[in-house]
Amino acid sequence: MSYVAEFSKMVSSFYVPGSGDADRSIPEFGFTPEIILYPETVEEVSRILRFASQRSIRVFPFAGGTKLFLGNPVRTVGVALSLKRLCRVLFHEPSDMVSTVQCGMEVREFQKVVGCENQIFPVDPPRLTSGATVGGLVSSNLCGPLSTRYGTCRELILGVKAVRADGEIINMGGKVVKNVAGYDMPKLMVGSLGTLCVLVEATFRLYPRQPFSRTVILSFDDHVSCSTAARAILAADIVPTCFEILDEKLSSELGVVGGAKRNILLRFDSFEDAVVEQIKQVGEITSGESAAFVEMDDEHSQKLWDSVREFPFSPKASFSSKLTLPITGSIKVLSDIESNPALSGVAVRCLSRPARGVVLVSVSGESDGAVGAARFLEDLAGSLGGRIMFSGIRHELRERIKAWGDFGDALLLMKNIKQRFDPGDVLPGEKILNVG
Amino acid sequence: MSSQAAKRTGRWKSRIASELVAILGTEAVISAEDELIVYESDGLTGYRVKPVFVVLPSSAEEVSRVVKLCSREKIPFVPRGAGTGLSGGALPSREGIVIALSRMNRILDVDIPNRVVVVEPGVVNISVTEAVSAEGFYYAPDPSSQIVCTIGGNVAENSGGVHCLKYGVTTNHVLGVEMVLPNGDMVTLGGMTPESLGYDLLALVVGSEGLLGIVTKVFLRIIKKPQVVKTLLASFERIEDAGASVSAIISSGVIPAGMEIMDNLSINAVESTVGAGYPRDAGAILLVELDGPGVEVDVQVPAVIGILRENGAIEIKLAADESERQLFWKGRKSAFAAMGKISPGYYVQDGVIPRSSLARVLGEIGELGKRYGLRVANVFHAGDGNLHPLVLYDPEVEGESEKAEELSGEILRVCVDAGGSITGEHGVGFDKKRFLPLMFSEQEIDTMNFVRCAFDEEGLCNPGKVFPTPRTCVEPGMRKHDSQPPPIKEMGELF
Repeated sequence: MSYVAEFSKMVSSFYVPGSGDADRSIPEFGFTPEIILYPETVEEVSRILRFASQRSIRVFPFAGGTKLFLGNPVRTVGVALSLKRLCRVLFHEPSDMVSTVQCGMEVREFQKVVGCENQIFPVDPPRLTSGATVGGLVSSNLCGPLSTRYGTCRELILGVKAVRADGEIINMGGKVVKNVAGYDMPKLMVGSLGTLCVLVEATFRLYPRQPFSRTVILSFDDHVSCSTAARAILAADIVPTCFEILDEKLSSELGVVGGAKRNILLRFDSFEDAVVEQIKQVGEITSGESAAFVEMDDEHSQKLWDSVREFPFSPKASFSSKLTLPITGSIKVLSDIESNPALSGVAVRCLSRPARGVVLVSVSGESDGAVGAARFLEDLAGSLGGRIMFSGIRHELRERIKAWGDFGDALLLMKNIKQRFDPGDVLPGEKILNVG
Repeated sequence: MSSQAAKRTGRWKSRIASELVAILGTEAVISAEDELIVYESDGLTGYRVKPVFVVLPSSAEEVSRVVKLCSREKIPFVPRGAGTGLSGGALPSREGIVIALSRMNRILDVDIPNRVVVVEPGVVNISVTEAVSAEGFYYAPDPSSQIVCTIGGNVAENSGGVHCLKYGVTTNHVLGVEMVLPNGDMVTLGGMTPESLGYDLLALVVGSEGLLGIVTKVFLRIIKKPQVVKTLLASFERIEDAGASVSAIISSGVIPAGMEIMDNLSINAVESTVGAGYPRDAGAILLVELDGPGVEVDVQVPAVIGILRENGAIEIKLAADESERQLFWKGRKSAFAAMGKISPGYYVQDGVIPRSSLARVLGEIGELGKRYGLRVANVFHAGDGNLHPLVLYDPEVEGESEKAEELSGEILRVCVDAGGSITGEHGVGFDKKRFLPLMFSEQEIDTMNFVRCAFDEEGLCNPGKVFPTPRTCVEPGMRKHDSQPPPIKEMGELF
């Protein structure tokens, strides 16, 4: 019996690509699996992986399929393993502000469930409204503007249930907010792109919803004033929920304010008096920088934040990149990028999230220009003491631009970890480790 | 390892001593019996093992050379900070070397614009805050021992403190480490950047209890001092009402910097010792600290007072000034030591429970105390459910210390049954490794061993800790259990 037939008996739902079921929509994996499996229980996931491991069949876990643009391309894979049917909230104790959810659940749906108790799961990854799942969120560690205040899901995750490549079901971490029993395995899973285990459940800490929210846009005619204001905001006694700097092109594209060289977007969430006072302080500390000042209520600002959240992952771009930098570098770098002749032949859009030291860059242009831009950005990140990740790399550029920059001397340890968890490379390790 | 040890000749100690002296100099190698006594245990003094040598390196390079020697000779080694740990994590290995990092105590860089302080592992926790305080910053994790414990130890244990409800624990404040791997190689994980890419190896190292290598440099995140800090002291007739207040405060949208509960026994111990102004007749007190922008705290204080009243607070005091605030906290931070005033001996436990099970668990702990005929005082970080029951006993009474230890173990079972953890901040170390299977299956512990083997295939770095039974680095998915004698006090681990 072929392994496709064996796998098909393990689950109640499967799909063999090319078998003619026109209703099936298959994500753009970049490869064609022999079979796509839709397990409904953790035990089914375990059986699939155990069998795959014994037969050395490679398995690609996915759920929403909204983040397939991340990481290196995947080599041939036999089984695509969808977690979409593992999509329930298993536990939510409002007084503990802790919830356990299956990884196939959409993040937005999960947020609605906890929202019924006036609580928030404060992560806003790209593709939030187009099917991003909890499993994809943890595996990718993608986040959005809310990370300024709440961090990424690294800061929120308390525990995971996962299935190892050999089929063993394991629980790691716990369901309490403080726990140092054993290594912090849940965090190891964050950002591992499904290369170590297949995540099936995750437990998160939640936060209370704040009663009042306001957004402020500060517009500047020059980057020096903007940088000065950004540093003043960082130093002030205020606690913004979101704090982003947008360059001119991105501002224009998102319809922020026409003509301004730079825009700072701030959001505050707290009691009304506290929000009003903090916005007043922003006005005072940036008054010397000739900033135009626009205040928006929560309802009107939502569309803007939705657009910012989706940046820089545009299908039109040659590639997108995330630079992780020291805080000062993440403010300064916008000017470095804007003024550099190496980028004159390509269209560049930039966003800085200074409190996180993160800069997101989207590059569009012809191939040689895009490759040159990638080299420049990689060198720039290195010169500022940071690192870089490329994603959404256009197909024809994938040989010339690798997803990951230099991992330094951590690479050997990363390979050791992968080897220990999955010696048969059942889960496609090349997503992360095929560097250089 | 054991076979290697068995093969050693009587001269190996003098040969190794010569090599250590060549690397470090005479002053930095301790081998005299009376000087080794200091290093026989950490803060958990019930377990004692005399190491063969204690070395005091002054640089990462020296650490690396010592570790390379240990790796070559298959000598187990144990990193040690200030020795304040409470789980036996720095208990020496028999026939092993203790690598004490106390001389690596320099603050290497203070970078205010990037909000990073770079330190060596022997820097005392409070020194970091002292180094940046004038600039309006501080280092948030504040374990009770912060005036003596070191950053290296904090990294090993993923230390918390009374303010971690809002600001997180050590792992949330370490941006990077330079470390010596168990084979002597150096590696840097993370650095000056708030975010990193790739597998989160740094998260594994923080809280690894010294099993993955020796940290030689730490990049710490510092944060701005809050504009305003207000501390409330509320007293209750019943400890359950104090617990209910905690959940109600958080549910209202307020995340206090810290929330601490002490029961009547603890209150009276503290009052007899430091006189913090706690009401002696209260069933429990709750300390609530609110911080942040002044206008935000101004809104939060009356809101929290209202919640405390709704939940049955008898008396609520807002610290009138900084000295009264410090006094409130002095009482809390003195609680462990104050037990000496009401009991000749006490055993500090560290378990975590979901906040929602607080009343039930406290009831069960009370019942356990009655069954064992021992008093249990309760002091805990209420916001995050981290209990520190203090089991009081008299070491002069035959069998009572054993009873206290057994009762402490039973308390951990209650915590795990409630959906909690066997440790929130003290670590597993040597003391609690037998309880790890309460939380994790054999396969789960094997999976943790994958991590250890990725860093330390020989298992030389702090062996005998965390894992309940020795595990070798055979093929992944397989497990080989060596027979091992049960842990015996005064002997520690035979490697």
